[in-house]
Amino acid sequence: MSVLAPERAPVLDEPSAAPVTRTRKKDFAGLVLAMPFLVLLVSTVLVPVLYALYLSLFTERLQGLGFSGPQHVFVWLGNYVSVIADKAFHAGLGNVALFALVHIPSMLIGALILALLLDSAVVRLRRMWSLAVFVPYAVPVVIGGLIWAYLYSPTIGPIKNLLGFDPLSDSAVLPSIANIATWQWVGYNMIIFYTALQAVPREIVEAARADGAGGFRTAWSIKIPVIRPTIFVAVVFTVIGSLQVFTEPMVLRGFTGTVTSTWSPSMYVYEAAFVAGDNGRAAAASVLLAVICAVLSAVVMRFSTRRSR
Amino acid sequence: MELSPALRDPGVSRRGFLRATAALGAAGLVGGCTATAAPPGATPVTIWSWLTGMDKYVAAFNAAQKDVFVELRVIAAGLSGGYAQQTNAIRAHNAPDVLHVEYQGLPQILLTGGLRDLTADMADLESQYSPAAWRGVRPDGRTWGVPMDIAPMVFYYRKDLFDQHGIALPRTWDEFRTAAAAVKQVDPQARICSFPLNDGSFFAGMSWQAGDPWWTAEGDTWAVDIAGEGTVRTGSFWQSMITENLVAGVVHGTQDWIAGMHDGKLWGLLGASWSVGTLGRSIPKDTGRWAVATMPTWNGKAANGVQGGTAFGISAESKAPEAAMTFLRWLSTNPEVPKIGSTFTTPFPAHLPNRAIARQAYKGGYFIGDPVYDVLDEAAKRVPDWTWGPNALRLFSTISDAFGPVRSGGTTLPDALRKIQQHAVADMRAKGLSVREGKTA
Repeated sequence: MSVLAPERAPVLDEPSAAPVTRTRKKDFAGLVLAMPFLVLLVSTVLVPVLYALYLSLFTERLQGLGFSGPQHVFVWLGNYVSVIADKAFHAGLGNVALFALVHIPSMLIGALILALLLDSAVVRLRRMWSLAVFVPYAVPVVIGGLIWAYLYSPTIGPIKNLLGFDPLSDSAVLPSIANIATWQWVGYNMIIFYTALQAVPREIVEAARADGAGGFRTAWSIKIPVIRPTIFVAVVFTVIGSLQVFTEPMVLRGFTGTVTSTWSPSMYVYEAAFVAGDNGRAAAASVLLAVICAVLSAVVMRFSTRRSR
Repeated sequence: MELSPALRDPGVSRRGFLRATAALGAAGLVGGCTATAAPPGATPVTIWSWLTGMDKYVAAFNAAQKDVFVELRVIAAGLSGGYAQQTNAIRAHNAPDVLHVEYQGLPQILLTGGLRDLTADMADLESQYSPAAWRGVRPDGRTWGVPMDIAPMVFYYRKDLFDQHGIALPRTWDEFRTAAAAVKQVDPQARICSFPLNDGSFFAGMSWQAGDPWWTAEGDTWAVDIAGEGTVRTGSFWQSMITENLVAGVVHGTQDWIAGMHDGKLWGLLGASWSVGTLGRSIPKDTGRWAVATMPTWNGKAANGVQGGTAFGISAESKAPEAAMTFLRWLSTNPEVPKIGSTFTTPFPAHLPNRAIARQAYKGGYFIGDPVYDVLDEAAKRVPDWTWGPNALRLFSTISDAFGPVRSGGTTLPDALRKIQQHAVADMRAKGLSVREGKTA
């Protein structure tokens, strides 16, 4: 935690006796200043996480007709076993994997191209363009989902006629969901990339130009390598976001039967907790999803540090 | 999915995602608010409900007497978060005195052990209720709820178009198929109605008519029969209608559906009593086009299912069960209630004397053909025996998931039904419930 970092510096340059009380005082001040953060961290993150871990080890058992109420039973890792063995959970993971394959490259490459265009001199009306691309991010996801759901609706929406196939059919619904997410996030990531591009030292860019590099060559050999750490951070966030995709399929589910109630792992958790009323299974699935997210982020981070060396 | 407030109807649970999101937020904020606004001397009673107009009923009750003061908290509808919120409150021992339960959700709420047995409190009212509603609050022969309304299924159709093209109103499902073909012949773009595959509550209502209840409480054991003869017959019929492309697949209540209903692409609706209000609000310009009739039957055997309907239960841990009962008896049986309800909706009370009052208050003018309340009354009389099981709400998702591939020919309705039966039995057994497969002995 970064909270503890500042205390080290004074210890190094202050000699003997006095620093003990000094450090304590500083510790105390640091602690007070960190309190708001710590309180929120503990109450809204750590306690719920620990409670979810606790819940994931229990289940409710009934008997007979069930009307006499449930008994809480400790089942060790039983909930985890049943989630891992559940075909619906596998199908959900498969769906988000495919979703990520469609969404991550198209969204990030799109955002990068737009950012490079904005950064280059060729674009006029820069503010208007950046605002236009960014606006979808400002639209609440549910509203965005509903807008697209109407556009996708076979009889009242125009997209079926434009494309020649039903965007809500079995085979097309996944790209349709990815399209909503891409529309939503491309502007946000474009702004992040554009901000990073603004920080690229102009001398390097000018030097490249003096060496005869064109706009494309400058972008490919200078700008992209310089902002690579930013790109990897965006990849990590997008991977996590893709695994947790929830709102877009949930909205489309009201319009088509092709999105199942457990279409993504997050929807699986929602179904277990709020429809089936099985909190133990929902908690176990959440923990598994969190572990998968952590592992994938670690893999992407490891990959990124290796590449940027 | 309800997309506009105009489509919301009392007593019907639909997945409304906007409301789900709101509910998730609200569920976190509500917790244990105990401050009361009750005047001195009055017993405070808390109620959680998503019934449209409940605020008006509560205000009228509080104004009418001084002994009980009811405080309402509006919660998200049914599966959009209402059930989860109530179940969690029961688990946390801070449930309100009165809980909102639909007939289809009652047994699932009962699994928490959080409802009070109302058998003795309600015994004197039996003869005043529609038998279908009375059975709905008595899944195991004990009374667990106070019925509010009941939603028998009926067939809404474009009488103007049927008459114009000389198509007779179908009275059996065989005639329905003939009529569907005739509609398609008149206008190749039009269909007789939609059969939404992602609505488990709707399919349950359609199967209810066929006379093989999906669940029965036999002593201490659930008999589960979701792939019984009647249900499979229903499934096979609609499978053939889908295969022959005689029905649309659009989801009820969506903009697509409203457009189809208004533009003459859908000539009918397999709806329920609350669809009276839905039609009037979502296609208000269609005055003088639509009529209501009882459902087509299986070979003339008069029967129809139910889709929706609300009741209220009292928390087992309520500190004021008598006061709560006073309010619920008023809400269910006082003639003021349907009068208030008629000002903003088309109530169809479970309480028979109140239904007569709702009938008088109904303004009419929208529908042509037989009087609406005559048809609904007849439909309510035709409802056969049915018991909702303790996994009914979850089963609706299972049905919607299992029926998904039917559209593309990936499976058939009868095959999907057999899978649903296995899934339901396994799910119930995993919870520890005592289950027997197959028809009631």
